[in-house]
Amino acid sequence: MLQLLNITRTYEAGGEKAGVFDVSLDVPSGQMTVLAGPSGSGKTTLLQIAGLLDEADGGEVRLEGVAVSTLPERARTELRLNRLGFVFQAHNLLPVFTALENVMLPLQLRGLSTEEARHQAEAALASVDLTPRLHHRPTELSGGQQQRVAIARALAGRPAVVLADEPTASLDQAHGAPLMDLVHRLAKERGVAFLVASHDPMVIGRADRVARLVDGRLVALEVRP
Amino acid sequence: MILARLALRNLLRQRRRSLLTLLVLVASFTALSLAGGFMAQTFQGLSDGAIRGGLGHVQILPTGGLEGGEEGSLEKALEGGETLAAKLRQDPEVAEVLPRIQFMGLLSSGPKSVAFLGSAVDPTREAAHMAVADRVKEGSKAPGGAGSRWLSAQPEAREVILGIGLAKSLGATVGTSLTLMSTTKAGSLNAVDVEVVGLQDLGLRELNDRALTVSLDTAELLLQAEGARSRLSVVLKQPQRADAMAERFARELPGTEAHPWHQLAAFYQQVRMLYFAIFGFMGLVLFLVVFLATANTLLMSVMERIREFGVLRATGLQARQLVALLQWEGAFLGLAGSLTGFVFTLLFRAGMNALHYQMPAPPGTSHGYELFIHFVPMVYVAAFLFLQTTLQLSALLPGLKAARLRVVEALRHV
Ligand SMILES: Nc1ncnc2c1ncn2[C@@H]1O[C@H](COP(=O)(O)OP(=O)(O)OP(=O)(O)O)[C@@H](O)[C@H]1O
Ligand SMILES: [Mg+2]
Repeated sequence: MLQLLNITRTYEAGGEKAGVFDVSLDVPSGQMTVLAGPSGSGKTTLLQIAGLLDEADGGEVRLEGVAVSTLPERARTELRLNRLGFVFQAHNLLPVFTALENVMLPLQLRGLSTEEARHQAEAALASVDLTPRLHHRPTELSGGQQQRVAIARALAGRPAVVLADEPTASLDQAHGAPLMDLVHRLAKERGVAFLVASHDPMVIGRADRVARLVDGRLVALEVRP
Repeated sequence: MILARLALRNLLRQRRRSLLTLLVLVASFTALSLAGGFMAQTFQGLSDGAIRGGLGHVQILPTGGLEGGEEGSLEKALEGGETLAAKLRQDPEVAEVLPRIQFMGLLSSGPKSVAFLGSAVDPTREAAHMAVADRVKEGSKAPGGAGSRWLSAQPEAREVILGIGLAKSLGATVGTSLTLMSTTKAGSLNAVDVEVVGLQDLGLRELNDRALTVSLDTAELLLQAEGARSRLSVVLKQPQRADAMAERFARELPGTEAHPWHQLAAFYQQVRMLYFAIFGFMGLVLFLVVFLATANTLLMSVMERIREFGVLRATGLQARQLVALLQWEGAFLGLAGSLTGFVFTLLFRAGMNALHYQMPAPPGTSHGYELFIHFVPMVYVAAFLFLQTTLQLSALLPGLKAARLRVVEALRHV
């Protein structure tokens, strides 16, 4: 469970203020929460603050009940390694590593032995149906397969929260829909809180909760049964 | 260790660029190791030359014996030097003691007389430890021709070995009879007839024009030395103990001073200083070349991987681990460069040595020598460490650049 409390992050650009303003949002475990909104509405900004990649000017981020936004950079990096997972729009993977090695990397950074890391990474890749592609490099995988490797990497370490910024933007509908079905299913199965930034109606349609941003403000929160 | 793996893969990804960088490293390693090998060989040759040329490892002299200004024979001498030598031979660290007398005088062929600088040595002991005997006896290749030989061990033999220049100026060859004239220790004039048994080339023109060598027995007769000796050359069982032993002798033997060989080998010292200066300059140039070439390569690769670094940092890589990643990349480049450079060095060395190239005579010496590059492991280790140090320094800048990237900005990079 991830909580955002009164998050504000402002950018001053040409006399105009942009960013996010006073946003509060709960991201519950086992659900897929989607940050929706037009381009420039602050989705990425909010997601990066929630993912401890950026610091807010005001407000608080709580992870599993603990205030984490004020921790020093080192500790936040450690939390990202141990408790969070990330999926970006594209270019998520190291081109010099195979699918398996990409998924193993954060596990090994946590101190797991090569054997343990391989074991867990293989399981994670199996859960996204990529067992036949373990030893392919990113350039040898389709866009959808690359995104599935990124999801496997994000999930392999059993994180509390996975943050995804436009995960389907570089995919066509035929590949995007099954990917989001997979995300939705994995969120439920594993009790992970998924926070997805997207303006794709296909993604929004599969959400458990939809938070709509306009000009950096939360204008509506839709909770689906 | 996962960082090391990633570093290696990154280098292999940029194969052409890595190879170009490697070329610089291999050239530097080869240049350093060959120059270092040549330098080590020269030092070895010069120190051997000094030690086996008569100095031994430690020289024992009367106090003030280095200051010169001696007017009569054995004016500055170790009284009872022969007895002292016999005593020192009992020392467990001493392999041999070679007493010697330095004296001056005139050498006469009858019509012509020439001033000389004489050394008197123990023919048997000298031949066992010093190079001079070998040079005289080398059969037809010896400067004195096929009939020449080293001084005989017979106490009553009155023989002399002449520097080649000195022999030439008197028109003497092996078999010629000459007269040695000098002052005795007490100050009166004395003369002894001697026969030339060999000629010697001491390597220095000035010496060859003046130097002669006789047995201690001959000098004893000429100078009425009564057991006094100018100096003792001490040969040690362990050459590296020269400094310590010189100190010990100076402490234990009153009225004497003792010096390790390198303090007295002025030529050795000068060449050493010169070579270190040349080598240091070369090292500095290579450092700059390697530093700039590799810093540039690594910086370029950092700029190309900003997006990747953003993702790595997002997934939990610490900033300092990015520095470590770049240092691994530097380390692998250095290792590959050193190993390849080592192979090149061995090939080059084999090639050069097979050529039997004759080097010209160095300034002040009378003959050249054959170029032979020794195998010197220390030099290769030093060249390896040099490259590694340089690479760690040049990887630091790109590493810090990568570490300072803000994650959100790096992620926006495509
Ligand atoms: N580093 C920055 N400097 C200045 N302004 C910024 C910066 N980052 C974001 N902004 C501004 O903040 C606002 C929100 O940007 P953000 O990237 O969060 O939007 P978004 O909803 O993710 O848009 P998109 O759908 O196009 O990705 C925009 O007006 C943007 O111009
Ligand atoms: Mg965005």
